[in-house]
Amino acid sequence: MKLNLYEDKKTKEEHVDVYFTNMRPMIRQLIDTVNSERPMLSGRPADEDLDDGDEIMIDPKEVYYLDFVDRKLFAYTGDGVFRVMKTLAECEELLWNYGFVRVSKSDLVNVFKIRTLKPAFNMKVYACFDNGEKICVNRSYKKKFDEYLQEMRRMA
Amino acid sequence: MKAYFTKLLIYLCISYTSISLTAAVYNLVNGNEPGSANTLVMFAFCLISSIVLSFYELLPDVSPLAMIIIQYLVACALCAVLLLILSLIEPISPKGWFEYYRSFTIPYIIWAGIYYFSVYLDTRKKNDLLKEIQKKEKE
Repeated sequence: MKLNLYEDKKTKEEHVDVYFTNMRPMIRQLIDTVNSERPMLSGRPADEDLDDGDEIMIDPKEVYYLDFVDRKLFAYTGDGVFRVMKTLAECEELLWNYGFVRVSKSDLVNVFKIRTLKPAFNMKVYACFDNGEKICVNRSYKKKFDEYLQEMRRMA
Repeated sequence: MKAYFTKLLIYLCISYTSISLTAAVYNLVNGNEPGSANTLVMFAFCLISSIVLSFYELLPDVSPLAMIIIQYLVACALCAVLLLILSLIEPISPKGWFEYYRSFTIPYIIWAGIYYFSVYLDTRKKNDLLKEIQKKEKE
């Protein structure tokens, strides 16, 4: 995408004009950023069982996947694991435009972080990430996952 | 196009099954053809197998391979119960039992193999799609 920046001291109201061919996720992300609505996940380091660590902001782009375990939601990033104070359903809705799709009852994966999809001998399909971890794409969510990928391609 | 052929195939299956069943029942009632009872038994086997296979989406945590084996065993057991009931009316020879299991197992294994292969092909296709999406996102 071409980016033009104009400095005009006389401008009374700063503004952004976006020319786009179709409303794809990247454009939506741009709109969210301009409107200061870009979703950020707030979380705490999940190491040990301490919940009183410093709260930090996590950029969804850095998240490999979200895992719901023992009624707690964890975000797996390259920098570590963080506990997120939201529900999986909320995150699913919030991060739809950011490449996140549900692949099982307890996992939401970032399709932009998947290195490859691999079928196992037992016919289960795993999404493998750059950090070496893998998440099973549950067959109940297969259709939804397929539709999401098609939708993302159509919009991209 | 795919949807059209799927629909066509469904119509063909329904019409063929309806005609065969009607003919078999008619012949059985009128005592025209002795093979009509076999058609009805085959229909009962197909019905049992279809019901068992339709439960594929259940137990999502069980691997597809394990699910295929479980479904095969359940379908075999239910069909065996049906045969056992039918053998009370007309005795079935040991060869008859063997023939039944052979004619049930061979198509099942072939379809399971096709399904297995389709999982690999589908995953490969999805991998290409993923790469395409990721490439476009980076641009």
